[in-house]
Amino acid sequence: MKEEKQSRRNFLFNFGIITAAFLAAVAFIRNVFLFLVPPRRKKKYHKYLVAEEQEIPVGQAKQISISKKPVFVLHLEDGYHVYSGICTHLGCIVRWEEDKQRFYCPCHKGVYDKHGNVISGPPPRPLDQFEVVKEGKLVYIQVQEKPGGPWA
Amino acid sequence: MSMKEWLKERFPIDYEKFVEINERIFIKEPIPLHMKKWWYCSGATPLIVFAFQVITGILLTFYFVPSPEMAYESVRHITEDVRLGFWIRGLHRWGSNLMVIALLLHITRVFFTRAYRKPREINWMIGVILFFLTLTFSFTGYSLTYNQLSYWATTVGTNMIKQVPFIGTWLLTFLRGGEEVSANTLTRFFTIHVGLLPPLIIFFISLHIIILRLHGVSEPEGFPKGHYSFYPHHFYKIIIITLFLLTVMSTFTIILPPGLGEPANPAVTPLHIKPEWYFFPMYRFLKLVPLNVGIIVTGLFVVLMLFWPFIDPIIAKSENKRRLWAYAVGGLTLLITVGMTVWEMFSA
Repeated sequence: MKEEKQSRRNFLFNFGIITAAFLAAVAFIRNVFLFLVPPRRKKKYHKYLVAEEQEIPVGQAKQISISKKPVFVLHLEDGYHVYSGICTHLGCIVRWEEDKQRFYCPCHKGVYDKHGNVISGPPPRPLDQFEVVKEGKLVYIQVQEKPGGPWA
Repeated sequence: MSMKEWLKERFPIDYEKFVEINERIFIKEPIPLHMKKWWYCSGATPLIVFAFQVITGILLTFYFVPSPEMAYESVRHITEDVRLGFWIRGLHRWGSNLMVIALLLHITRVFFTRAYRKPREINWMIGVILFFLTLTFSFTGYSLTYNQLSYWATTVGTNMIKQVPFIGTWLLTFLRGGEEVSANTLTRFFTIHVGLLPPLIIFFISLHIIILRLHGVSEPEGFPKGHYSFYPHHFYKIIIITLFLLTVMSTFTIILPPGLGEPANPAVTPLHIKPEWYFFPMYRFLKLVPLNVGIIVTGLFVVLMLFWPFIDPIIAKSENKRRLWAYAVGGLTLLITVGMTVWEMFSA
């Protein structure tokens, strides 16, 4: 094949077009990537009122429900503690046994103490705990905000 | 063992032959001299826009949900929540408009330069089919957004199909998936839009290009004879067109982003309802004549358009008279369609 010599003007023109096409392709691919991969959202929390100071006597618990999920509010000697009622083993719902001061999961006999730590049975880790905030006589917990709608 | 050898063992093709064919078909494709004028490159434009439509369309299906409860909401989600969603949707929306414009320009150019003449009649017919496939694409596409306009356009559009002689009612039930516009209609339009039409249009585009390549590009009168290779001149021209189109679509998306409209409400027809601009001539025509007359006349027009390359030689014997006839018919068609479009555009 005969090599044809290109003029400088021609070379610069073609080089410009190829560069523009390349940049456009890179920008396009970047945008497609951003479009397809949802951004990581920063976790946001809001306060949720769970009890009044005098409502629960020391050593007792109250079961409430947040977003249809069970939550235990415990009043211990050192203050309020709030635990998720979902067993960390396979997701069954634990129950509070006041006489034994422990949580018990009926599915596979997992047992947690009043601080949520595993005493016996198969659960791999302690019960999930909510951060408690006390303001005056009111007890709040920090609940993670979930985006609404079907896109969550 | 080199990578090339490894590949050659797995794909035992004649590499030299492959390079030779590639050179003959693509790199050294003879392009007639008149193609240096931009106006004569109007055939590549719809193809490039179509490629963009495929890419942006596939991307939109990652988020779009074709159900009456979710369609509008998912379009809103794409437009307002998803990163660069407005851009992808805007490109798709403006791309659809641009594709219709590009095809109209291409058809007009081909018609007035009479490039449909023997032996290229079949390629003209395939072109006409491609144009109507594109309109079907547009119609099914904008029905999917499920806002008031799209819902009522679907209702009106499918009702018009009922007027097609003999098979109208059957066609209506088939398209709607029942008697009313419902969830079935939406899923059917979605399937037609993303499942049936794309392979069909790709088939016809391929056929169009193969026939074009077999005959070579038709050369209009009044240009110096001669050819140049596809690469490099035409190759760079295509890249410039691609960049230009992307810039135009991107700019329109940012300056005039497609809106969402009101969510579909099957109980209330909006007061001012109009289809997309490319259906204006048809829409205006249907306001002027009874529905069945409108459908039949439109059908006849399509048949005339489709078979024009065969009608053209029957009308007159001399080439000059034929040209005059073509100019007259083409001019009249342009006048009527543009006139009706403008009329509809400025009427309530």
